[in-house]
Amino acid sequence: MEASSGFLKKMIKCSLIEEGTAKPYKSGAHRKSLPEWDRDRCIKCGVCYIYCPDAAVYRLDDGFFDVENQKCKGCGICHSECWFGVISMVEER
Amino acid sequence: MDKFSLFVPNFLPCREYFDPGNNNACPGCGLALGVRHVYKAADKAMEKALWENISDTKFFGIKTNPSLLKIKQKKNELIICLDNEAGGSLRDALKKQMPGMAVAEGFKYVATACPSYPFDLYDKVKKALDTEGKSYIHILCPCPEGWQFDPENSVKAGFSAVETLAFPLYEAVCGFYTLTVKTAKPKKLSDYITIQGRFSGVTDSEIAEAGAIVDKEYSKLLEKIQSSYSYTFETTGKVY
Repeated sequence: MEASSGFLKKMIKCSLIEEGTAKPYKSGAHRKSLPEWDRDRCIKCGVCYIYCPDAAVYRLDDGFFDVENQKCKGCGICHSECWFGVISMVEER
Repeated sequence: MDKFSLFVPNFLPCREYFDPGNNNACPGCGLALGVRHVYKAADKAMEKALWENISDTKFFGIKTNPSLLKIKQKKNELIICLDNEAGGSLRDALKKQMPGMAVAEGFKYVATACPSYPFDLYDKVKKALDTEGKSYIHILCPCPEGWQFDPENSVKAGFSAVETLAFPLYEAVCGFYTLTVKTAKPKKLSDYITIQGRFSGVTDSEIAEAGAIVDKEYSKLLEKIQSSYSYTFETTGKVY
């Protein structure tokens, strides 16, 4: 009985109460970690920008790159694809 | 050339037609990455794009349910198949018959692409929208949930699919084949299979069988490329 009630709680937690889509929900709400750039070693190549599936990485005016908080899902593709290991994934609290 | 290719992303247009707020894809989705680059390449043609209804599609007279994207213009029509190999066995994953069937159906431009090679994908979509008549692009989208690997490796999975010759990238213009990404030293097929959790139960003998399938498919493709190359060279003196 205890196990089933736990399952029910989970179901209610991640299901939508109203009918519809996940449109109003920000896609980055459920991430674990966020990328951070080491500006001393970054060569501004843009590999992180081109491989981001959510188009969350954008270019700043000075040529460096940064991430949009509400879009990033924390997949870590930019971290694993960066040629110089500039990007580190920092855990969020 | 390696160093030069590093800086190329800066020359792509920075306009985005892909709305990340409206998609509920998983983290590290290869399909979302593919769709994003297709949208970027299609540019203003996106206004007339249509997502085909999956239950209604009968592609080439067979019942299939891939997700298809249709972009219609005045002179041409582009059909894009986003293939994440859901629910298939190892044999199904290695034998791609759709592009060959599209060539046989008389499509003017047929190509295979992978979001791990974004410039290749970008060029192919541009080319398809420039040609008159029907065109078809088959995109392999690594799926971290379905293939069972870490989301941060989804681009690497696409690289290894191409480098092990399991999914060679080629294009067929009016039926004449050319390889667009050439792999000088192909890797072992087991590298591609072992990173995927869905093939964890596959034995060594089955991997050897799969390797035979891949070799056969690739040699068929090379034959087609060789024949079309010699044909165009003999008749016109030009190499397309």
